[in-house]
Amino acid sequence: MTLALQATAVVALLYFAALNAIYLVFTGIAWRGVTHHLRARAYSGEDEAFASPLTPPISILLPAYNEATGIVESIRSLLTLRYPEIEIVVVNDGSTDETMRTLVEAFDLVRIRKALRDAVPTKPLRSAYVSRRHPELLVLDKENGGKADALNMGLSAAQYPYVCAIDADTMLEEDALMRVAKPILDDPSVVAAAGGIVRIANGCRVDHGRVVEVGLPRSPLATLQVVEYFRAFLVGRMGWSRLRSLLIISGAFGLFRRSLVEAVGGWRTDTVGEDVELVVRLHRYLRDRGEEYRIEFVPDPVCWTEAPEDLRTLGGQRRRWQRGLAETLWRHRGLFMRPRYGVLGCFGFPYFVIFELCGPLIELVGFPVTIYAYATGRLSLPFLIGFFVVSLLLGVLLSVAALALEEFSFRRHSSTRDVVRLLVFSVAENVGYRQLNDVWRLLAFVDLARRRRTWGAQQRRGIGVRS
Amino acid sequence: MQALFAWSSVALGGGSVMFVSLLLFRRIRLYRIEVERDQAEERLEPLALALVSGEETEAVDTRDAGVLAGLLSRYARQVTGDSRSALADYFEASGSVDRAMAALGDRHAWRRAAAADLLGAMGSEQAIGALRDALGDGSRDVRTAAARSLGRLRASAAVEDLVRVFVTADVAHGVAGEALLGLGSAALPALRALTHHGDPGLREAAVELLGLLGEPADSPLLVARLRDSAAEVRASAARALGRLAAEDAAAAVRGALDDRIPFVRAAAARALGEIGGRDAAPALLALARSDHYDAAQSAARALARVDPELLAAAGREEFGQHVLEAADRAAIRS
Repeated sequence: MTLALQATAVVALLYFAALNAIYLVFTGIAWRGVTHHLRARAYSGEDEAFASPLTPPISILLPAYNEATGIVESIRSLLTLRYPEIEIVVVNDGSTDETMRTLVEAFDLVRIRKALRDAVPTKPLRSAYVSRRHPELLVLDKENGGKADALNMGLSAAQYPYVCAIDADTMLEEDALMRVAKPILDDPSVVAAAGGIVRIANGCRVDHGRVVEVGLPRSPLATLQVVEYFRAFLVGRMGWSRLRSLLIISGAFGLFRRSLVEAVGGWRTDTVGEDVELVVRLHRYLRDRGEEYRIEFVPDPVCWTEAPEDLRTLGGQRRRWQRGLAETLWRHRGLFMRPRYGVLGCFGFPYFVIFELCGPLIELVGFPVTIYAYATGRLSLPFLIGFFVVSLLLGVLLSVAALALEEFSFRRHSSTRDVVRLLVFSVAENVGYRQLNDVWRLLAFVDLARRRRTWGAQQRRGIGVRS
Repeated sequence: MQALFAWSSVALGGGSVMFVSLLLFRRIRLYRIEVERDQAEERLEPLALALVSGEETEAVDTRDAGVLAGLLSRYARQVTGDSRSALADYFEASGSVDRAMAALGDRHAWRRAAAADLLGAMGSEQAIGALRDALGDGSRDVRTAAARSLGRLRASAAVEDLVRVFVTADVAHGVAGEALLGLGSAALPALRALTHHGDPGLREAAVELLGLLGEPADSPLLVARLRDSAAEVRASAARALGRLAAEDAAAAVRGALDDRIPFVRAAAARALGEIGGRDAAPALLALARSDHYDAAQSAARALARVDPELLAAAGREEFGQHVLEAADRAAIRS
């Protein structure tokens, strides 16, 4: 028992030290990356790209399942994007609510016969429509097959060389598409995919599909997620992108070279983490062929999304994310510690296995073991308090650093009161919220064992509604 | 161990306080900078307008020169001819151009990039040589800023350099392309010469740009590229002929509908839609009925443009999904 306890303590301490060291290094990388990005933006030629006939057109894929509440606002925001040429392909995945009727009425849809590519098999198409008012809007009504299946049908219908997958409950900022496409426009032969930042729209004022005033949600749970998203996107994804090992492009907002997605077989329908799985598969495909490529995170194209405001929905979302990650890591376990996959194989992939997949288990086992060790006199109270204080302060430092990075770079929250509130939540998220997340992520393994699979729809209030 | 915890706590607590302080400091500082910049712009706006109008003005100090250049760069796209020269003369006389050229040698890449960008805004031709050299800078940001500025300066001497970096992706692709397009007809002789270059990437880029900048007289040159050994060049030539709406090249483009590479056939079909003429209709209908997806889609859409009556008549199941889709879309438009 003593030996087991000692071994657990050593693993926990090593885990703790390594994880926090990585986070600290990533914070430094992210500061550097964001600073460089903002400086370069002044002469990156965004206006030229907008006016240029050389800028390639993009097909936006919008899969929807029971999204009657918010889909009209989402599409409106897409129709006003500042980009030279786009088409919007909405795929209704057999919704059981009023999604289809809402779309027909809102956009004056007219039925057409639509030819589809047969690159990726999907559930059958029921009917296709185009908007009389917006010829660039195509709506496909298909039998239910899941989000990945809907994306694959969108891929089959897309006419342009790049596809941008976004969620139906999100809104893109006016310049978001141009900014996320910038790395591809700058280096089209090398950049295979790019993702932007997802921010939380709860509490913001929305008008005609646009966030016109950034605010904070009233719900403490949603505010905690605002802080969490800063850390995950500005620090985590920026860091991985700089190391050329970005494994996650959020399903809410990602741009891909269409031919490449077709070449790897589209989005997989047998996982709930189709977004992360696709990115890992792209990495693997391109590295196996020895091709020079980059998959990039861009920190300023913003996609606004509605965050869950109740524990049940949030828990379901986190369990689904973790399940998707587990399925992907297992499927692509051949990447683990394989030098031929470079930094991705030897550092990025192992990081996700150890810290993202197994992390919740290690962290949660740590609690009972610590209590047991203290109860049996193997740990002194000063040690216990010291370790707790250091852990807490490390968490606070990392959260505050991410918030400071946001404040230094993008300054979306103009109200000083909001910034102070974010500071308070940056401290508070380390007590309770992170541990709750660990519990949900651990429960994902139960779902995995039961093979639960859903679209993961949440109860929506509509993205334009202030919380 | 307790001492380690204590020191760690102090360090981490200190770090957190530092970030919070930085955050507050930054917020206050940025606010002040914004206020100062707004005030400076307000103060310098009459001077900027006087410069644009070609009136005599006094030199400003170094700090104001940056604000003034930024202000003038907003007008720069609209300003041409004498006014543009007057701006350049002003910046040359005030020493701003020399200072910016000196900054191209700074050890910090971001300062070199900012200087390259500023030189484009100032509009002085004295900077062209230095900016061409900067296309070889070790930093991609500096190269990109230099390319952008060369385009704004309409530096025809830099055409080959710009085409080279456009193809090698040494600078942002869109920026180099737009810089070349910004040169207008001055770029044409070099682009025409490059259509015969040994590197297919250069040929493709030159042909693509000729389609955007060229003249009807360029169509024989482009028709010759429809027989290029590289499929990308053939597709690019078809696109270029379509953009130029080169009616005299219609027969040659129709011939490209039989190319063995699907994306060349797709490009040729799209081009025929832009060139127009019912002669292409039967071949487009055949392609729309039986070809690969992209070529068939392009052919059906082109058919809708060149011969809507034939498309409407062919809008039956036996002509396939692409023709049906194009017919339905055409019906909605009408």
